[in-house]
Amino acid sequence: MTNTQIPAVRPQQQVPEAAPATRPSARERGTRLLAALFLAPTIVGIVIFTVVPIVGSVVLSLFHWNVIDSPTFAGAANYREMVNDSTVLVSFRNTLVFMVLAVALQLLIALTLALAVNGRMPVWLRSVFRSAFFFPLILSAASISVVMKYLFNQDFGVVNWGLGLLGIAPVPWLTSENSAMAAVILVYVWQQFGFSFLLFVGGLNNIPKEIHEAASLDGATGLRKHLSVTLPLLSPTLLVASVVGIINALQVFEQPYVLTNGGPGDSTRTVVMVIYETAFEQLRFGEASAVGVLLFVLVMAVTALQFRLSRRFVHYQ
Amino acid sequence: MTDSHFSRRSLLRYGAYGAGAAALAGTAASWDRLTGADIPGRDDGSLVVATLGPAYGPAAIRTLTEGFKKVHPDIKLRINAVQATDWSDFFAKILTQIAAGTAPDLVYVATEGVQLFAQRLGVALDKWVKRDADELREYFADVHPSLVESMMYEGSLYQLPVEFNAADIYLNHQVLKRAGASFPAADWTRDDFTTLLRDMKKSSGSQFTPYFWTNRLWGGVVPWLFANGTNLLSESKAPGGSWLWDSFYPAADRQGRGGGYRWTTPQATHERVEEAYDYLASLIQEDLCTRPEGGNGQNLIGVFSTGRVGVTPAGGFWAGGLNLAGMKNGSFDVQYFPRWRTQRMQFGAAGYALLRTSKLQDEAWEFIKFASRRDTLMRLFETNQTTPARRSMLTADRYREMGPSHWQVFYDTLDKFPDTGPIPAPPQVAEVEQVLLKHTGTALASRRSVAPALRRMQSDLEKAMERDV
Repeated sequence: MTNTQIPAVRPQQQVPEAAPATRPSARERGTRLLAALFLAPTIVGIVIFTVVPIVGSVVLSLFHWNVIDSPTFAGAANYREMVNDSTVLVSFRNTLVFMVLAVALQLLIALTLALAVNGRMPVWLRSVFRSAFFFPLILSAASISVVMKYLFNQDFGVVNWGLGLLGIAPVPWLTSENSAMAAVILVYVWQQFGFSFLLFVGGLNNIPKEIHEAASLDGATGLRKHLSVTLPLLSPTLLVASVVGIINALQVFEQPYVLTNGGPGDSTRTVVMVIYETAFEQLRFGEASAVGVLLFVLVMAVTALQFRLSRRFVHYQ
Repeated sequence: MTDSHFSRRSLLRYGAYGAGAAALAGTAASWDRLTGADIPGRDDGSLVVATLGPAYGPAAIRTLTEGFKKVHPDIKLRINAVQATDWSDFFAKILTQIAAGTAPDLVYVATEGVQLFAQRLGVALDKWVKRDADELREYFADVHPSLVESMMYEGSLYQLPVEFNAADIYLNHQVLKRAGASFPAADWTRDDFTTLLRDMKKSSGSQFTPYFWTNRLWGGVVPWLFANGTNLLSESKAPGGSWLWDSFYPAADRQGRGGGYRWTTPQATHERVEEAYDYLASLIQEDLCTRPEGGNGQNLIGVFSTGRVGVTPAGGFWAGGLNLAGMKNGSFDVQYFPRWRTQRMQFGAAGYALLRTSKLQDEAWEFIKFASRRDTLMRLFETNQTTPARRSMLTADRYREMGPSHWQVFYDTLDKFPDTGPIPAPPQVAEVEQVLLKHTGTALASRRSVAPALRRMQSDLEKAMERDV
């Protein structure tokens, strides 16, 4: 291309002529109507099962309501009470700590295992591993937690019995403030990592072999290849896995509820536990809704932040 | 949408599909279909009774429905066995039903919920009790006044107790034998108890826990508070109730009775409360008992029956439970809770509460009377899954097969210790229990943790008690 062929105005600076404002054609209207018809069931479902409860919670958070009597308007009192309640504040701190540690561990384990399974391995063995790693995810979290509670029991648990055989003193897994959160995270990650694992396996399969071959020709070896080729190309999958992981972790309930009931003290009490206890045990539905609204805002903020940051580190082919 | 050129023919075709689908949907909508109203008994004028599901299997439900039908063929009855993990979970589900406008007429309520229901939802039974006094005389003569008093609130009676469980101490004979210890005497003390635990520990391996307890309102720390002559909340009696005591109980039994319990000011920082916690902390430090979070009733029967636990507090319900776990009569026994400053013990009782929203209050009262009859309870409590509230039902015959040998302890806990009383359960019970559980865990981390944890407990209890339910 020579200079004379360069257009006077660069394409992106060309301003298209404004189209005359005309009514959409009958065909366009039909198309839009059809699209609306197809979308209607989903939109109705979202409105009924998501939007209405969210709005309902926000409204309820402005009232005092104990189920038995009529609600009374409370204004911001529930929010004021919430920020002055040490249990609520501790539960938010616990939930954030849980989220950071559990999601990081979950992604790390899932990615490591996905890379291992994706390596040179017979197809049948790969299927066995995939099924085995995914299996805990399809079980009920409450059931798993009940079983784990037995396993981690300080006095009669199999874990401490095994440690005893090795001459190690019993560990107060669920009964010490120092180890209870770790035990809850372990149980949660053990159950949840299968989802991220499957996402990573799918993502790895989508990376073209040619890129790895090209990297090999350029002299890249194992770790360098993963850092420079695999991870960047897997970043969209990493984004999805981390977003879903964080949303799930912020709403964790079953594992701490069954394993430790939030204890010892408040050391494993999470936000959703506080919402449940405040609403269904203490009959303070307004206060519980206020905590729920704050959790909703937190989840939205964290997710928005992730998408914002993803512009920097997510690479699409 | 990728294809923006949507032909008219396509539009007509999809339009036809849509119209067809709409026609089908319209036809389906016009058919009779299942709704909530089709649930048997829903809105058909039945008397609805909500019970705690796990405690009421199909056989129990049959017993109640068939038995009641014979006595009152004119009253339709529906038993709604609500599945729940514990009483607070059960109450939460009942309250949700009430909020949804599907309130039952009667709810089976334990001590944990007596005052909550009485204050906010219940109907006092006074007028019916007075009206049917002659019919009820036999019932009251058979039921200890402490149980009846625990079902009163501010001078009125809200439930007729049908069962109760006091926190007595169960002992494993195999473990006693291994420790070279004899079965404790009825007046054994806290120090005897500690010595026994130490003997058990010495004679058993590392996988053995002498004393197993569960962190909850019933049977957790509270029995030790009672034994040390104190309580979590200050306890007093409401005035009134003489209309009942004067009508049904002799003078000796009436003495000191009132219109029900009042639990008001938190006293977690009281020196006796601290003593009780300090004692439990010392047991944990010596490895003589479980930490509070380690104990839960789910696996207790298993570890007790296999000799991995020496002693544990439980009520009459355990006689049946241990039998189901395969423990034979003679392999375990029961004794009173040990004496400290007092030998006052704690119990929880249960009966049917009538809801204000019920439109069948007279019919509900008939069910309450039927459910408290001796023949009904005999059929209902065949397997010793609880302690019947009727003294006459506790006989040698009942416990001959299953044990324990000292079965008299169950009712004598009330008869021989008249100050034995209910667990502290004000209307704010849910929050009180949660505070208790939470801070008990922290308090027993070490002996140094006791005082600061009890101070935090006191502060939280004060907040809880200030709140209106």
